[in-house]
Amino acid sequence: MISAKQLLNEIVNSLRNVIAPAIDQPYPKAQAHMAAVILEFVSRQIEERADIEQQKDFSLGALFHDMANFAEISRLNDDKAEGEMRLCGLIERLYEERDRLGEETFTAANQRIRQTLRQMLDQELKIAKAD
Amino acid sequence: MAEARLIQEKVRDYLQSKLPQARALALSNFVQAAGGWSHEIYVFDAHWNEDGQALGRGFCLRKDPGVGLLRELSDLKEQFLVIKALEPTPAPTPKAYWYEADPSLLGGPFFVMEKVAGEAPNPWSRAGKQFYADAAKRGKLPSSFVEALASLHNLDWRAAGLEFLGVPGSGKDFAQREIAKWEGLIEHSLHKPEPVLTEIIMWLKANAPAAQRLAFVHGAYRTGNLIIKDDAVAAIIDWELQVIGDPMYDVAYVLSDLNREGSPLLSCIVGREFFLDYYQQLTGLKIDLDVCRYYEILYMMRSTAFWLSASGLFAEGRNKDLRLARTTYSVPVVLDMAARALGF
Repeated sequence: MISAKQLLNEIVNSLRNVIAPAIDQPYPKAQAHMAAVILEFVSRQIEERADIEQQKDFSLGALFHDMANFAEISRLNDDKAEGEMRLCGLIERLYEERDRLGEETFTAANQRIRQTLRQMLDQELKIAKAD
Repeated sequence: MAEARLIQEKVRDYLQSKLPQARALALSNFVQAAGGWSHEIYVFDAHWNEDGQALGRGFCLRKDPGVGLLRELSDLKEQFLVIKALEPTPAPTPKAYWYEADPSLLGGPFFVMEKVAGEAPNPWSRAGKQFYADAAKRGKLPSSFVEALASLHNLDWRAAGLEFLGVPGSGKDFAQREIAKWEGLIEHSLHKPEPVLTEIIMWLKANAPAAQRLAFVHGAYRTGNLIIKDDAVAAIIDWELQVIGDPMYDVAYVLSDLNREGSPLLSCIVGREFFLDYYQQLTGLKIDLDVCRYYEILYMMRSTAFWLSASGLFAEGRNKDLRLARTTYSVPVVLDMAARALGF
């Protein structure tokens, strides 16, 4: 997701350099310029939400802990990669080794992974989706 | 604005070179369309005198802006050749006039086609939803919507010379090609891992269906990509994603929730049962709803690829269009739809 500060800066640029110059009438033109000025203040007021990444990290940590208890799966877990990259690798290897693992083990591990994926997605949806 | 005037002058000069008999050639109603994410689109009317007669014609010009969405996957020359190939077929399409690869003319490759009379209301706008809801009640446009799709799927694409698009092998090859295509765009665009997307891609690879038969597939058949005149499809437009492939791919797109945002009608225009029955009647194909559900998830993966590409172009400062920035929020929403379709 693009950071809030970068987005605000680009909206300010668009208001100043694209939208305002295309407006002929003085009042809406002044409104566009003033919106740009206010958004610059807002940009200095806001902070990116840290809780979302923290929650995602927590979900990932719990998953990798649980995966260590799956004897056949633990060797698929690449300790060199970290966080979401590590999870992507685990998902790929799980599908690649599905036949060897057997359907029961695959399904159990896949369901546990999907539980974590849902938790992570719900964190991102806090921003992306209106209630 | 000065830039728009400059483009208009260049287009006029180009048109003059293509219509050497034209005297007093002038352009009017020159508008850059707001739609179009991957190309700049200009629509205009031209008027001139020829052999003592006053003549006029509407044109539409699509130009490669250099940094548009799907730039690597949407070739203007291919679009031009597709529209040209479709001209003599029953598929309603604009006439294709000229393609120019030379970037010195307008700053990028472009092609010129017929401006088809009619309108293509955006189905996501309030006015567009109302337009299609009213047309649906009158009843003629829903039939025309299905007939135009059937005209593509019934097309003898080899006879039409469309093999240059690439012909998949039998069985699962089409689905696998599509996955690979959009996975390529994702790899090109993605700057951080997306585990939900990885799970969706792996599921798609593990469950690819065999194509019932190969047909000419539009790839984005929906309202908004159709010019409507007198409650009928006057032209199918937006030829960017066409392939030779499984016709269920287009059917799935029509069935998809992605294209009807709150409307009970498919693509905001046609009832589900009517669509299923009439399409099967016109094509002789049997709609496999399981296969369609698979392709709906593939579309969600494709949409994710679009949005990752779009927001990536913006984040890197290569394209300043705020519409691209907005798509950064679309990624988790589409992934959520796909995850729910897969049961998590």
